Amino acid sequence: MLLRLALIFLLVALAVAQDRPTFRVKVDLVVLSYTITNHKGHYINGLQPKDFKISEDGIPQKLASFAEGNKPPMEIQPDGSMRPMQVSEQGRTEGRPDAVVGTNVFVLFDTSNYMYRGFVYASDAIADFIRGLDRADSVAVYTYSRNLTRAAALTKERNDAVSGLRSAVAGDDSALYNALLLTLRDAARVPGRKVVIVFSNGPDNASMVAPDDVRAVAEDEGIPIYVISTNEVTKDPISSNVFKRISTGTGGKSYFAKTWQKQVEAFEAIREDLGNSYTVTYYPQPNPNEGFRKIMVEVTSDAGRKYRVQARPGYRPQRGF
Amino acid sequence: MRLGQFLAAGWMAASGIAFQNLGAQDPAKRAWELELKGEGAEARTQLQRAANANPNDPLALEAYAGFLDHHRDPAARAAYEKLRQLLNRNRASTSERAKIAQRLTELDLIAGDRLNAEKHLEEFHSLGGKGLNLPAQGAAAHPDFIEIPGPLRSFARMSAVSPDVGPEEVMASLSHNITLNGYSALRASESLEPTEYLKLIMRYLTQAREIEKLAGPNQILKIETCESTQTGDLLRILGYRMRGSCGGDVSLETVNPSRAFLTIDSGFPLSVLEAALRTNRPFTLDYHPARIPVMFGAGYWHPAGGKPVEFIDFFIGDPALCRLYSAMSALDPDTADQLHKDLPAAKAKVYAHVWDFFGSILELRDGKAVVPGGTRAEKMWTELLGVGPDKGTTFYERLVEKDDGWMASYFDSLARISGPVQAYLTEPERLKRFYTAMRGRVTSPGPARPVFRANTDLVLLTTRMRLDADGRPHLPGGIMVWKNLFASKNGAKMDPLLAKAAPGWKEPEQVLEAMFGLSRKMAENEPLKIFMALTDVERNRTKPLEANTIDLLVKEYRELGAQYSLFAEVPTLSDATITAYMEAARGISLIKDVPLRADAAGTLQALASFWQIFVRQHTIPPGSADATLAAMVQPFAKIQGQREIGQREIFDGGQKGVQALLTAARAPTSGSAQDHMMDLLAGTKPAGSARLSDAHQQMLQDMTKVFEAQRLVSLDTLFALADRLEAAAGGTKLDVPAANRLAGRITEIQLPRAALSTRERAEQSQGYYADRHVDTERRLNLRQAIERAGADPQKLRDIRASLVPVLRDTLVGLNYVHYAPPGAQVLFTNPAFVRGHDFYGTADHIRTWQATEVMGTGWPANAGGRLSGSLISLPYALAAAEQNFLIPTREQALIWGDLVPQMIVSAVVPRWWEVTPNQLHWIGLNMAYADSLLARSALDEGVRERVRSVMDRYMPPARMKKVDRLLAAGDVRGASENVVPAEMYLAARELAAADRDSALARELRTLAAAASQELSALAISRAFGTPKPTLSTSYQPELLSLRTFPTLMGYSSRIMAESWESNLLFYAALADELHLRPAELNLRVPEWTQLTVERIFATHLEDWPALLRALRLVGEDVRQKARKLTVAQN
Repeated sequence: MLLRLALIFLLVALAVAQDRPTFRVKVDLVVLSYTITNHKGHYINGLQPKDFKISEDGIPQKLASFAEGNKPPMEIQPDGSMRPMQVSEQGRTEGRPDAVVGTNVFVLFDTSNYMYRGFVYASDAIADFIRGLDRADSVAVYTYSRNLTRAAALTKERNDAVSGLRSAVAGDDSALYNALLLTLRDAARVPGRKVVIVFSNGPDNASMVAPDDVRAVAEDEGIPIYVISTNEVTKDPISSNVFKRISTGTGGKSYFAKTWQKQVEAFEAIREDLGNSYTVTYYPQPNPNEGFRKIMVEVTSDAGRKYRVQARPGYRPQRGF
Repeated sequence: MRLGQFLAAGWMAASGIAFQNLGAQDPAKRAWELELKGEGAEARTQLQRAANANPNDPLALEAYAGFLDHHRDPAARAAYEKLRQLLNRNRASTSERAKIAQRLTELDLIAGDRLNAEKHLEEFHSLGGKGLNLPAQGAAAHPDFIEIPGPLRSFARMSAVSPDVGPEEVMASLSHNITLNGYSALRASESLEPTEYLKLIMRYLTQAREIEKLAGPNQILKIETCESTQTGDLLRILGYRMRGSCGGDVSLETVNPSRAFLTIDSGFPLSVLEAALRTNRPFTLDYHPARIPVMFGAGYWHPAGGKPVEFIDFFIGDPALCRLYSAMSALDPDTADQLHKDLPAAKAKVYAHVWDFFGSILELRDGKAVVPGGTRAEKMWTELLGVGPDKGTTFYERLVEKDDGWMASYFDSLARISGPVQAYLTEPERLKRFYTAMRGRVTSPGPARPVFRANTDLVLLTTRMRLDADGRPHLPGGIMVWKNLFASKNGAKMDPLLAKAAPGWKEPEQVLEAMFGLSRKMAENEPLKIFMALTDVERNRTKPLEANTIDLLVKEYRELGAQYSLFAEVPTLSDATITAYMEAARGISLIKDVPLRADAAGTLQALASFWQIFVRQHTIPPGSADATLAAMVQPFAKIQGQREIGQREIFDGGQKGVQALLTAARAPTSGSAQDHMMDLLAGTKPAGSARLSDAHQQMLQDMTKVFEAQRLVSLDTLFALADRLEAAAGGTKLDVPAANRLAGRITEIQLPRAALSTRERAEQSQGYYADRHVDTERRLNLRQAIERAGADPQKLRDIRASLVPVLRDTLVGLNYVHYAPPGAQVLFTNPAFVRGHDFYGTADHIRTWQATEVMGTGWPANAGGRLSGSLISLPYALAAAEQNFLIPTREQALIWGDLVPQMIVSAVVPRWWEVTPNQLHWIGLNMAYADSLLARSALDEGVRERVRSVMDRYMPPARMKKVDRLLAAGDVRGASENVVPAEMYLAARELAAADRDSALARELRTLAAAASQELSALAISRAFGTPKPTLSTSYQPELLSLRTFPTLMGYSSRIMAESWESNLLFYAALADELHLRPAELNLRVPEWTQLTVERIFATHLEDWPALLRALRLVGEDVRQKARKLTVAQN
């Protein structure tokens, strides 16, 4: 029961008038996905909750659930033992926001003029990626040029997603970061684990929001951004740097894949990342920090100290009424 | 008799309910009383209950049916039907029964149910009813068709034609798109080359023909199995191949990217084909060619004898032909038909560009050309063109040929207006004189040569000029001001000839003549722009501005002209206050320290903007408006250039300005300044209400979220700290911990770290000072400064002064909060958006007092967009920044770059806290009456004539003719789909007064008599009008009742959007239908506007019917949801 309660930490004194809305800082469930790799870059699997120490601003956190890859989620008991959560055949866990099953994958496809030449090859690579996703995963396909288009809503039906993808229409200007922001907003509304995969040529000539502001939204919502750029890393160094920054800053990765083959490989790498990641949930311990809260994931074993953890660096608690 | 009783009595009388049965009267009377309180939903429920409980009581049934009818509720038909049956059973009087049968006939026609309309009309006749006849349905037209290979949907996608467009409009839309996007001129040559857009259409046609061939004579594409030879053939055409063997492993991959692109872009069902191959099931696709009607038949456009080529290829290969088609399709059909008979396409297409831009206003009646000015002006038109209007098409032919289109553009701008100004301008001698002035000596290039119409200023001049009471053109400031302007050094530089003539001017008409001369120029016509702006400033003033003030406004126009909308919006401003504002602005511009100048400008502009909002919302009474602005401006009159002193003066000015505003708005004298400001910005609390309404609460929450997202500092914190510091500087002991707590609140606000690397920053060219402003705030360490200051009064005052940038942000931010567009993605995502407002610009282009603009969109040009310039057009700039965050509901939708921001502005600037239930119902009732007028027009030729006489003034001839024909064929629903809500409202408003037959008209008159102030033209204009910053230099919402403008050079669709007044009228009628409280409009209108924009699927920039479709779709969605909710609640 306690787990279901949102923790309200701090009231911000905005007003005391009888009918004046009160603005609060509040933190609900935190969903955290991360991968562990050794010095050769190989994924380390089979670790258990006891193998991790997760803290926020140095404050240790108590895990509510734990899942590895696309295996069913486990509820962590007060004594540290685990028991499987009830998951329906459709992979749903009604009423349990901490029961994370599969990944909600949002593919954001650049259909602006900049992608004119590579449009059809990109479409093929994305179609392959969608078909190759784990059964537990859901996928949505969004496209963008000046505006965002929700080509296929989040679905487990691969054909629906591919059909949406194949209906994409080539556009004009590119507002990548506007579109990424809107995709993140949609993803944030979906419970459970989610990632956004951006497939883009890189340039943006129409966005109103800056990449780092969008990255901050992804950080706060706990949504890793993976980027596949169809440009070479050296061609447009500023865009390449931005891609690296927004992906690593959110726990994702960036790939520079000019050829179709490289794009397929990039998708394969993302799929592997999703299949080899750990996902934990927790309700944060009291913390007076209203600003950026730094998350630290440590592997407690001696060997683990040499492992590389890829996770989002932290988040800012949300404020609302 | 109280107002409620009076109205109830009036309504019952209008509905035919007699005062015989008190028991049955009560529900109707109570319903009225509830409606007056804004509780229409409860009124409906009570009437429904009464009708259900008394199914044999005709009065109860009539009360319920009448109520539904007067709210355009579709359930009215069923309610009247029950009443009809009851009256028949009761053998009620034939007149009563005939009345119900007539109303049912009208409602059937409105609903598009001709069958029932015929039945009810027959009953009406059988009961002795006379004078109404339902005309026979028009014979189906038999146009000539052409065939285009492949499905229409695919062709429409490739040619960017909205799928909502019917087949009969495809060619017109296609020709419009080809005219605009199909060809581009090669540099250094006159020849036109197909664009990529057109090349793709051509390639698509080739691919579609190949598929058509594969489909065979049955034109059904059928792939039986994955292994069949046809599979390979089809995939080759589509540009794909199979990867993996047939069955579950197969997937399609690109082998020919050009073909594959066409396959995807044309919407070929590739995923269905892929699924069929994976499951080894047959794939079938109907591949019949699209049959498209062609106006006048293909033969007119493509005479026989040419090279044998399919019509569509020939057509899209000839840009002039496409343009002529586009032009002809916009002409009044009778005129177009006559032209096609008289003028071969090959000849007409030479002037296709002129026909295209200026043809839509032309109209032939009985073979004679209709001309602006009517009979009185015919002789002069004959003299100007050498042929009389009685020659019909020859007259028009000469018109478009004359002076490379200038004569046609003159004709067009005069035909668009009506009333005294048109009468004045078309007085025969003036007609010639002003044309001569406008034409000049050289006519090239013509106004129809560029992509947009180049007669913008001429159209604006004729629309915005006004006449004084003596019938002469109004000259702001008198003739001397204008003589001086033209004779000045600047004037001489712009137009030496006019400068030479100016000293001899004696009459206002001579100045106007000069303005016509300038209207031809695309540049160096500043006097005309000044003239139009100042005409707008004086438009609503009871006392004109003094010549000295006008002189000042003329002189400062270039730098401060954008600020004049402030003066235009509040006509009670005195000359002294206007002068003081101008001088303060001028003084601020002279401050050399750029950050200080930006703080001064930002603070003063923010205060002036609050003042503008409060005057608009009537929180500052008109009587105090002038004194309040004067008090706010005074501290900014002479800001010192030395930073510390200047900052101190600005902070004092800001604090005093807030106090002056709160006092003028009658805010409580105690309590939080921040809360009071937020309350005032959210809107007025209903009189006598102790608590905020739900709508207010929601509005406050939304505003607070934006304020918090921008991490702004509350006014209370700033003022409290400043007061403590000031007191300490005056000798009072400083409570350091308390001051530090306040300082902490300011510095603890975490500003985002600088996002850009040095290299990235070096690439920026815009916003240096805005970034410096944010950096200054980031470095502000008040605690340290307070501790270091000790008791040093100078240092304490300096700390207080250093709060100026923070105060500026809070004040500017509160303005952003007030005008936040729906969604407000930028404001929620970029926490430094307000702080990043650039009040400077660049050394080459200082923008401190210019219109607000969006700058720096797109990465890596900048670290996100920001607003630059003054705050004067903040609502539009915020809307422009937000528009690309709207998500079209379908792919390929065209979100208009200038139309959408104006739609958002119209949803954000007006507020409806003071709108009364009567006003809301007034709009709904007028719309219901307009529906009824259309229905009666179908049944009665006399009514149709009256409706035509009104709508003719607002509709273009082509649409008027279409509506007329539909009504003449009894197709009321079809006709109403071609009438925009503003036209419906205008027709109802003008015709209700004299209509003695309609119960709705009677109710309108009763309502108008009972609430004449609330329902005056001015009150309704203020309540449901839209801001028109370009057309009237003011954000004051108003209804101007203009014809919808076309796109114009320099403004694209912005002026068109301002002349579109239908949205708010539509939403108001919808709210009345759904019995919403007027205050709810404050939440619903922004929401509905966003939904409307997301549903616009337009083909081109002037495709306003797409906007109308979107409005109706949103209306239907909202109705359905409301009905579901009602059912669930019952």
